[in-house]
Amino acid sequence: MSSLVKRWIPVLLFGTLPGLVVLAGYLIPTSQTLTYFRDCLVEWAVIVAGFAFFLGMFNVLRIHGGRVAHLRKGWLCSLVLLLAALAAWVPSVLPASTTIQKTLDHVTFDYVISPLGASLAALLVFTLALAAFRLLRARGSARGVFFLLVVAVTLLGSTPLANLEWLADIRDWVVNVPGMAGMRGLLLGVALGTVITALRVFVASERPHSEL
Amino acid sequence: MNVGAILLLTLSGLVLVAMLILRGKKGPSPCVRPLPAFQDLRAQAGYAAESGGAIHIALGSGGLHGEDAVTSLAGLQVVEALADAAVSYSAPPIITVGDPTLLPLAQDILRRAYERRGLAELYDPGRVRFVAPSPVAYAAGAAYVATTENVTANMMAGAFGAEVSLITDAGARRDLSQLAAAAAPRAIGALYPAISRLAVGEELYAAGAQMTGERRYLVSLVAQDILRVILVLIILGAAGLAFLSNWQGW
Repeated sequence: MSSLVKRWIPVLLFGTLPGLVVLAGYLIPTSQTLTYFRDCLVEWAVIVAGFAFFLGMFNVLRIHGGRVAHLRKGWLCSLVLLLAALAAWVPSVLPASTTIQKTLDHVTFDYVISPLGASLAALLVFTLALAAFRLLRARGSARGVFFLLVVAVTLLGSTPLANLEWLADIRDWVVNVPGMAGMRGLLLGVALGTVITALRVFVASERPHSEL
Repeated sequence: MNVGAILLLTLSGLVLVAMLILRGKKGPSPCVRPLPAFQDLRAQAGYAAESGGAIHIALGSGGLHGEDAVTSLAGLQVVEALADAAVSYSAPPIITVGDPTLLPLAQDILRRAYERRGLAELYDPGRVRFVAPSPVAYAAGAAYVATTENVTANMMAGAFGAEVSLITDAGARRDLSQLAAAAAPRAIGALYPAISRLAVGEELYAAGAQMTGERRYLVSLVAQDILRVILVLIILGAAGLAFLSNWQGW
């Protein structure tokens, strides 16, 4: 009896039942009662996720604050990170909709966060190119060469270079026939894996939050 | 009403529950084909212990809310399966997350592993780190961890995009042993040239079964295989019917 109360009642009340209500709310959107409860539960989940951001912030302060306090390796980067986090907070604590608040918001997002994000994303080109060269060096197999050949054809086929129009046709065939077939097979497997894992959580066979 | 989704979920639920009831506790354990990405992980934990380092596990930028929730749960299975071995070897992993909702779960898995070994006082919550909420910034931060900490192996399991190549590049520069499991096609495209031990697509969801050998994981894999066969048969049947209807002008 105690096992039932301790193990199954909380799982059913706080896991399976809300999960089923939310799922049913999405699958049967015509039911107003279900959609009402679904929206309530999703709203609560968003609030809980908001608190998780506080946890994340304290985790960052703990890790990087400790590194700065003890002058451990990389303390300077940690200090810069903490100062940047503090600076990013300033606009949000200023009175809302004032000129200075709007300007600081604009400067922070348009001149710092967006360009930095774009620069990091641009680095991906080089890391991917390096990975391709490493692939040839470490695994100079027929598969590796074939992979790089397909990458080259697909990339060059997307460029508007003169006299390379014939590559565009090959690229279209590669993307739409073998590429699409592989992608669909992959997505089918992922969808099944997702459904089965989600169902395991529903039937409480998977409990990442507890080992009771 | 989404009839197709309801049918798929009902069918999946029936197959899974039937498998759990029929093979959940009795009979021989189902066999799973070996996946190098997960097989080597325990050995990597031993190597990390010998060299006084740690395994870095990157769980990606997915969280418990949104479309990546289940992929992130699959990533947590890797942590759960490795935690006991790593604690036994006194080489706890460094876990980086890109969504704070994964933070308490990953910390709890690690804490429970210490408690099971009677070493609760040695648990350090700082082994689990929230890096950044945006995918590219997360990848850059996780790459920094792989570069600067005493890491001996790099494991990526969870929700990633093409930005994962920043982490693999950091690992390759330090000549770390690298393993990965990803479901998103963009991540797979970025990981394929960089990593030889890669679990692709649905293989990510086999992490628990592969590493722990627990029946509940193995049985759900069998249910997944049964569903795949059913779906393939349905697709083939539908294609055959469409072909026949076009051919005969129905």
